[in-house]
Amino acid sequence: MALRELKMAESIAPVADTMEPQSIERLIEENAQAPAALIAILQAIQREHGYLSAAALREVSRATGRPLVDVYGVATFYRAFSLHPRGKHVVSACLGTACHVRGAHAVVGEIERQLGIRAGGTTEDREFSLETVNCLGACALGPVVVIDGHYVSKVGKEKVRPLLDDARRGRVGGRNDGEATSLSLVAHCSHCRASLMDPDHPFDGLPSIRLAMKGPGATGWWRISSRYGSNKRETNSTAPRGTVLSVYCTHCGEDLSDGWKCPACRAPLVSLGVGELARLRVCPRLGCDGHMLDVAS
Amino acid sequence: MSKLSSPGDLSALRRTLVAARDPNKPGLVVCAGTACQASGSSQIVLAAKKHLLERNLLKRVSLRVTGCHGFCEMGPFVLTQPQNAFYAQVKAGDVPRLIDALLAGTYVEELLYRDPSTGVRYRNRDEIPFFKQQQRAVLGSNEKIDPTRIWDCIANDGYLGLERALGHVDRSWVVEEVKRSGLRGRGGAGFPTGRKWELLAERKDRAAKVLVCNADEGDPGAYMDRSILEGNPHSIIEGMLIGAYGTGATQGFVYVRDEYPIAIRHLEIALDQAREVGLLGQDILGAGFSFDIKVAKGAGAFVCGEETALIRSIEGKVGEPRQRPPFPVERGVWGQPTAINNVETWANVPIIFRLGAEAYAKVGTKNNAGTKVFSLVGKIKNTGLVEIPLGVSIGDVVMKIGGGSPSGAKIKAVQTGGPSGGCIPASRFDLSIDYESLGAAGSIMGSGGMIVMDENTCMVDVAKYFMNFLRSESCGKCLTCRKGTQRMHEILEDIASGKGTLAHIDLLEELAQVVKDTTMCGLGQTAANPVLSTLRYYRHEYERHVVDKRCDAFVCEELVGAPCQSACPVGTEAWRYVALLEQGKLEEAYKVIRASNPFPSICARVCDRKCEQRCRLGASGEKPVAVRALKRFVVDRVDPSCYRPPVRLRVADQKVASVAVVGAGPAGLTAANELALFGHRVTVFEADDHPGGMLLSAIPPYRLPRDVLQKEIDAILKNVEVKCGARLGRDLTIDELLAEGYQAVFLAMGAHRSARLGLSGEDVAGVISSLDFLRAFNLDRRVLARGRVGIVGGGNSAVDAARVALRCDGVESVTLLYRRTRQEMPAYAEEIEAAIEEGVQLQTLVSPVALASREAKLTGVRCIKNTLGDFDGSGRRKPVPIAGSEFDLDLDTLIVATGETPDIDYLPDMAVPVDKAGRLVADVATGATRRPGVFCGGDVLSGPNTVIDAIAAGQRAARAIHRYVQGQDTREVAEPRRPSVYVPAPGGNGADGAMPRLHHRLQPLDVRKSSFVEAELGPTEEEARREARRCLRCDLKFTQPAQAAKEEQR
Repeated sequence: MALRELKMAESIAPVADTMEPQSIERLIEENAQAPAALIAILQAIQREHGYLSAAALREVSRATGRPLVDVYGVATFYRAFSLHPRGKHVVSACLGTACHVRGAHAVVGEIERQLGIRAGGTTEDREFSLETVNCLGACALGPVVVIDGHYVSKVGKEKVRPLLDDARRGRVGGRNDGEATSLSLVAHCSHCRASLMDPDHPFDGLPSIRLAMKGPGATGWWRISSRYGSNKRETNSTAPRGTVLSVYCTHCGEDLSDGWKCPACRAPLVSLGVGELARLRVCPRLGCDGHMLDVAS
Repeated sequence: MSKLSSPGDLSALRRTLVAARDPNKPGLVVCAGTACQASGSSQIVLAAKKHLLERNLLKRVSLRVTGCHGFCEMGPFVLTQPQNAFYAQVKAGDVPRLIDALLAGTYVEELLYRDPSTGVRYRNRDEIPFFKQQQRAVLGSNEKIDPTRIWDCIANDGYLGLERALGHVDRSWVVEEVKRSGLRGRGGAGFPTGRKWELLAERKDRAAKVLVCNADEGDPGAYMDRSILEGNPHSIIEGMLIGAYGTGATQGFVYVRDEYPIAIRHLEIALDQAREVGLLGQDILGAGFSFDIKVAKGAGAFVCGEETALIRSIEGKVGEPRQRPPFPVERGVWGQPTAINNVETWANVPIIFRLGAEAYAKVGTKNNAGTKVFSLVGKIKNTGLVEIPLGVSIGDVVMKIGGGSPSGAKIKAVQTGGPSGGCIPASRFDLSIDYESLGAAGSIMGSGGMIVMDENTCMVDVAKYFMNFLRSESCGKCLTCRKGTQRMHEILEDIASGKGTLAHIDLLEELAQVVKDTTMCGLGQTAANPVLSTLRYYRHEYERHVVDKRCDAFVCEELVGAPCQSACPVGTEAWRYVALLEQGKLEEAYKVIRASNPFPSICARVCDRKCEQRCRLGASGEKPVAVRALKRFVVDRVDPSCYRPPVRLRVADQKVASVAVVGAGPAGLTAANELALFGHRVTVFEADDHPGGMLLSAIPPYRLPRDVLQKEIDAILKNVEVKCGARLGRDLTIDELLAEGYQAVFLAMGAHRSARLGLSGEDVAGVISSLDFLRAFNLDRRVLARGRVGIVGGGNSAVDAARVALRCDGVESVTLLYRRTRQEMPAYAEEIEAAIEEGVQLQTLVSPVALASREAKLTGVRCIKNTLGDFDGSGRRKPVPIAGSEFDLDLDTLIVATGETPDIDYLPDMAVPVDKAGRLVADVATGATRRPGVFCGGDVLSGPNTVIDAIAAGQRAARAIHRYVQGQDTREVAEPRRPSVYVPAPGGNGADGAMPRLHHRLQPLDVRKSSFVEAELGPTEEEARREARRCLRCDLKFTQPAQAAKEEQR
């Protein structure tokens, strides 16, 4: 048994494992109650670390009581899991039928040629991984390639090189419609209506929005950018990432949550008044950049 | 938010929400479905928020961000209310204008959706053909709802169906109502939903019952489930609540793909909100039933769409199917009785209870009630999600909603049902879309993917694609599925790469049948469908691959090689001379061109450029490489004498023959040249006074200067003897030629009989054929046109005649009359453009119906206007005359350019058979006629065709004649033509296809209009080399690996 396990482990991860055991434990705990718990746990590890290491699989096996062979079986049965670390940039080419009939295979061939790897592989310099997916459900826009989470539509062979160049420079999906979409907000407390703007501490060249916060073991301030779309936030709290702060008005001290939850992490959002009718809602979880500008209330 | 504790609370809340709304308040609706987000809709939303905030317009204008509306092709778009105006492909900078127009009650006309086929703009979204033909019962709710706000949903009749269901204390009524509606499973198999619920309701187990929503939309090419989940998650929750009430289930799961993050997020928000208001949980609405829903995320396995595999995946295990029975209703998730329905099925349930089963069942046909959503994608103009009542024909969906082909390529088939489905050919587009008809045609309904395929889609490749998919998605439990799909894929790979034989096709068919008959689950049982259905309708394509080694769709790479090369009828290595040009090696480039074509300078000017039509750059939306212009650059700069024909080693016992060639056009001269190079003695007999055929008599000198033409003809005359003034049928017969000692005869007389209009009075003076007109001018400088000149036709001959007439003295005006629109004209686009620039008037959508004359001289023509009707067999829309739209045109000359046919009535008397339509009967591959020793080729066989096709026919016939006189089989064994010579790529790693295409320059207009100097100027060196760098170098895929291996050895 020991020998077999060792062999399997070797086939899993040929490189040094950099995952922290605490993070694996936390992810297991967070997902243990999900219906398909084992799959949910592996998805969470994959999402956070990009792949499933041998140690992670062993830890999952230990914590869930499922034999390692089962864990390994699930990890290799489903397409979404990778047992190898992936590159800095993940290129997923859709090979759905709609993309296929519009020439997706030629596009994949060109990406393979340019990167010098086969689909499923990672470049030697760990810059790129190339994956193919069965269908991304964006069939109207085929051939579709997703680079680092950004959808690129109607990709032809000739677009491959510029796209990879952009990815290297971190420019894919960096849409900029200029003036038309650059928005700065003036926020006030939705209870006492006092202005929350702090011109003495500018962020992004604009007055920042200053709020009071209470986190574990500390009280103090939480400041966010008033440029919409900027995720610049600062606090004097030293609590770890993932901590949800309680946020209050600096003037009247009222709690600023209004029942809405973060679309990304489901923490209660902080709600600020903008103009007469709109609301800016920001997630107070450290490390989460969830936010919404609600003009429909 | 306080919990709702009775159906009455819910309806009171709905009344309050509805009362608080002003239906006339101006509003913007922006789609933020996945497709529109990929097209940039979040920027539109942001721009709208900015404008509304900065101008303080929030009280006057509302903004709603919704899920998918279906017209994904046009994203990002903005719908305005109450106007219902649809602004397509909007940019962030347009948004302030749209808002201002909305407030003023006006429209921004230039941004309104415009139908690309008719040019009509629509102010009302519902009038747009894409929407007008649909019935959007399920999808129609998306535009009304912000999926992250339950109030939006409730205000728009959300949970009204639940309210109605709860009104019946007898829960069996709920199940009966679903049965009465006739709803069948939208996941594909079409099992009656009510029956499934009934089976679950009847279970009296102790174990809690479970409902599952199958949102593992694994069928590639289908995305309606994603759009429903993203845009209206509450419809799923409501459907499952009604199901729970009816069947007594207490636990629900939504099994959803992890690849759909927005769908998961919206569903989780909706579940949270439903719990908060008391629509999920204990004692829902005080009706004494409890139900909750959990989300289970799939991890990418197609087989998990199969219900027993899905159940195991929910349990966190490997998703392998198991034998049924026991069915999930008996033993499902964790052994509990379970009913599984697909997303779209659940979304239909609230509609049934809102409308009543009877009203619901009125939509669709008798055994196929309701609507079905399809994802209409692939080679289609209007891609997106469409919803239609079942029973509508496939043709209506493809042509009326989909708008037909986006590129003008002929639509060949639609593929339905994904990897388990099949292809339905265009000839069966009258088929009604319902579960039974699709099944009978060899496909299935499936979850609703409808992938449109055109003549550029290869059916062997489609089968191979699906088999590759199934091979990797087979769970491996059944041997015949696991190995059968692998072996079928291997056979298809062999066929696609040129290694196949006819035996491969038979084996494939046999294997497909075995897999179908001997596997356990749905995946395996249907895995053979892609093979069986393509074999059923497209066996000839398989045969082309294995016999001729050709993929006519230019898809199978191992057969296509570099498309420019394999598209060229003579196989010119276009990629190679383009690459050599880029390196400045012009002489080498010339040799490459000349090696396959004896008329390089002619083709550099008049070729129809099949290489460019098939260029991969053009296939992906960019403009193809300007190959012909590059060829012109090379041939204009290189002395032809640098080329030495290859020395053919004479085989010891090779027979040398005398061969007679009839006709000195491009086909005849090419054949003569090739035969001479084989060592044969060739005599060419020409009816005219000069060799050249149509090159000389039909093509005007401003396109093909006479010195260029003469030089290349003269080069050939060095090797062969030409006798002019000798016409077959008048001056000589085939019997005479054979009696004189010629062992073989090649007939290449061309097509010289002009088609007539078929109108009375066509014989009056002033009505002539384009061929006579051009011939008189080109050979003798006689001008047969005068005054006001009209030309009927849309081909190159018509445009040539028009441009020549325009340059002639005595001509006042030139009008080109064509029956369809400019897009459909067969003439080269740049020739049409040049003609119009020079002053030719183009009247499209007109047909002549009568001629007027005085004293046997033409005075005018009566025309009728046409409109474009339905699509015909050619994939173009038919011209349909508009009654009463006749008008008169005063003309002195009418040139008829509506086509030519070969003039060969005498051939049957020479024992060379023609068919009933008067066409030669011959083997196209060799040109061999039924009379031994007599071959034919060029226009005389094919009808009017291009120069390069005539040259290719001459080469094919020459090789066949050579083999014939050696006593060998005239047919060659076909081999794929792949690039074999390595030419390094410029600048390391490939092309810059995104640069703009070379711009063709012409002589100044005044020079062109008044003279016959060559109109088109060749590119400069800088232009040519830049254009050459745009080439994608498709050859490298074939030559680079071998080169790399060679370098490694060193």
